[in-house]
Amino acid sequence: MAEKGWVRTALILVAAGFVGLLILLPVIAVFTEALRKGLGFYIKSITDPLAFSALRLTLLTAAVSVAANLVFGIMASWLIAKFNFPGRSLLLSLIDIPFAVSPVISGLVFVLVFGAQGWFGNSLTDHGIQIIFAPPGIILATMFVTFPFIARELIPLMQEQGSDEEEAAVLLGASGWQTFWRVTLPNTRWALVYGIVLANARSMGEFGAVSVVSGHIRGRTNTLPLHVEILYNEYNFSAAFAVASLLTLLAVVTLVLKAALEWKIRVEERHEPWP
Amino acid sequence: MAIDARHVTKTFANFPALRDVSLRVDDGELIALLGPSGSGKTTLLRIIAGLDSPDVNSKTEVLVNGDDISRQPASQRRVGFVFQHYALFRHMTVFENVAFGLRVRPRKQRLPERDLRHKVNELLELIQLVRWSSHYPSQLSGGQRQRVALARALAIEPTVLLLDEPFGALDAKVRQELRRWLRTLHQRIPVTSVLVTHDQEEALEVADRVVIMNQGRIEQSGTPDEVFHHPVSEFVVTFLGNVNLFHGRGDSDRTARVFVRPHELEIERQPRNGNAVAARIVRIQSAGPVVRVELSRAESTVEEDSAINVELTHDQYRSLALKSGETVFVKARDARVFVNGTN
Repeated sequence: MAEKGWVRTALILVAAGFVGLLILLPVIAVFTEALRKGLGFYIKSITDPLAFSALRLTLLTAAVSVAANLVFGIMASWLIAKFNFPGRSLLLSLIDIPFAVSPVISGLVFVLVFGAQGWFGNSLTDHGIQIIFAPPGIILATMFVTFPFIARELIPLMQEQGSDEEEAAVLLGASGWQTFWRVTLPNTRWALVYGIVLANARSMGEFGAVSVVSGHIRGRTNTLPLHVEILYNEYNFSAAFAVASLLTLLAVVTLVLKAALEWKIRVEERHEPWP
Repeated sequence: MAIDARHVTKTFANFPALRDVSLRVDDGELIALLGPSGSGKTTLLRIIAGLDSPDVNSKTEVLVNGDDISRQPASQRRVGFVFQHYALFRHMTVFENVAFGLRVRPRKQRLPERDLRHKVNELLELIQLVRWSSHYPSQLSGGQRQRVALARALAIEPTVLLLDEPFGALDAKVRQELRRWLRTLHQRIPVTSVLVTHDQEEALEVADRVVIMNQGRIEQSGTPDEVFHHPVSEFVVTFLGNVNLFHGRGDSDRTARVFVRPHELEIERQPRNGNAVAARIVRIQSAGPVVRVELSRAESTVEEDSAINVELTHDQYRSLALKSGETVFVKARDARVFVNGTN
């Protein structure tokens, strides 16, 4: 490169400065604030039964919505990328809706539809089913908000790869199911890992939509982000940051899992450098 | 096994890709479907394979070995197919690619692992890639990939082998090698084969019979010699290599169009009879097996191209001692004459 040495150094410093200011500093702040009142208080805050139930609900929500979106996302991408059918572009736009609307509105829509005064309110109450202000509503809202992540990762890749390999598989005698499991899915595993990581991070951290449908019932319908907000609003800063650090740790665990999976796949196919 | 495709008709959104095409390929024959892009050759191949379906209301029938397979799904047809861009499974090794068709068989028909390995290794020997069996497609050259694709297609012991521009993505030298190799392979394993190509040289070199397609119809079908020396239409003449067009001073008011290939023209210093055309030498290209001389004729009609291309042997070229800028006379030794498009 013909770039002068100092230009390069300056650019690197600016980039590093941004990363430090926008990513590193907040993470450090979370842990410093969390530990401000000492380790004892920190442990007490995160082992608090209310914090624990919030953690459990968050993990349950993430597990269910990622699993559901995995199935729906793969199905939708497969349809959109490999087939041409009427309504295809409509489906593609529908998938993007959760990205386009504010999460708060998504939450409100669920209240309107499933709430006690909503469209299905009466029949749901008659059958003793509660969705809004209960975990099912939280899971539904999270699923809605995170729906595009997996599909949006898969569609461009599947489209780029075309249908040649699938056609080859079918002509070699493979059934549709075999073609999907042996050819389509393995070809997209990188995008799938990314989609899962993104969807998981978002479903653990989702605030807006969940806040509307949750009702903030402590110990029952609070997820970790909602619990952090409540503690913060009660001026219980150290406890708020302690619980926030839990969320941060969950994110770190996700990233470590992703790295491990990437490493494993790369060992299997050492020839294919990422990306 | 013989292929008998009858009345194949296919329309893509008002574009007629195939208009009532019937094609018969005898058992063990290797034919080339030759035509420009958009002539329908690939569509015909994909309909035989079951990847595309003919128009619903057409009388299309596809028979292999006498059985109508047009209602069968592609996965049941046992058709070997080779794609232009290989379509190898990128996440599988060479070995697993070749083994794929054997592994996806219904459980009862599946070979025991030992037999399967034996069979795949035999095929890898055939394509001379045994040493590469644990490599991935991305580690192979284009020519090697296409050989793997061929072995993969042969693994299912196909009733027919369909090749869709199999050498189209390869460079000239590899292409040449693979053509010969395919020819030899076909002599060893004489499976009925259809090769789609837009390269006339390839078609004439490889195939037992060449079927020339144009605008969704079969223009001519015959041995390479027949189509080259006895073309039935202007399209066939112009498609099968370079050709010069002259207008005959036709009898009565019908215009005769005269097609002469570059090697059928002679150059003379002095006109010996009335049929020679005066032309000025524009360019001489003498590097290669023949000497190509590009001339510009002194008089030309609107429809005629003023350029004339002549191919001479090096001996002829030397004895004539031609130079750029000279005016000489060009005479046809042989020609194909068409009146109103046909002969």
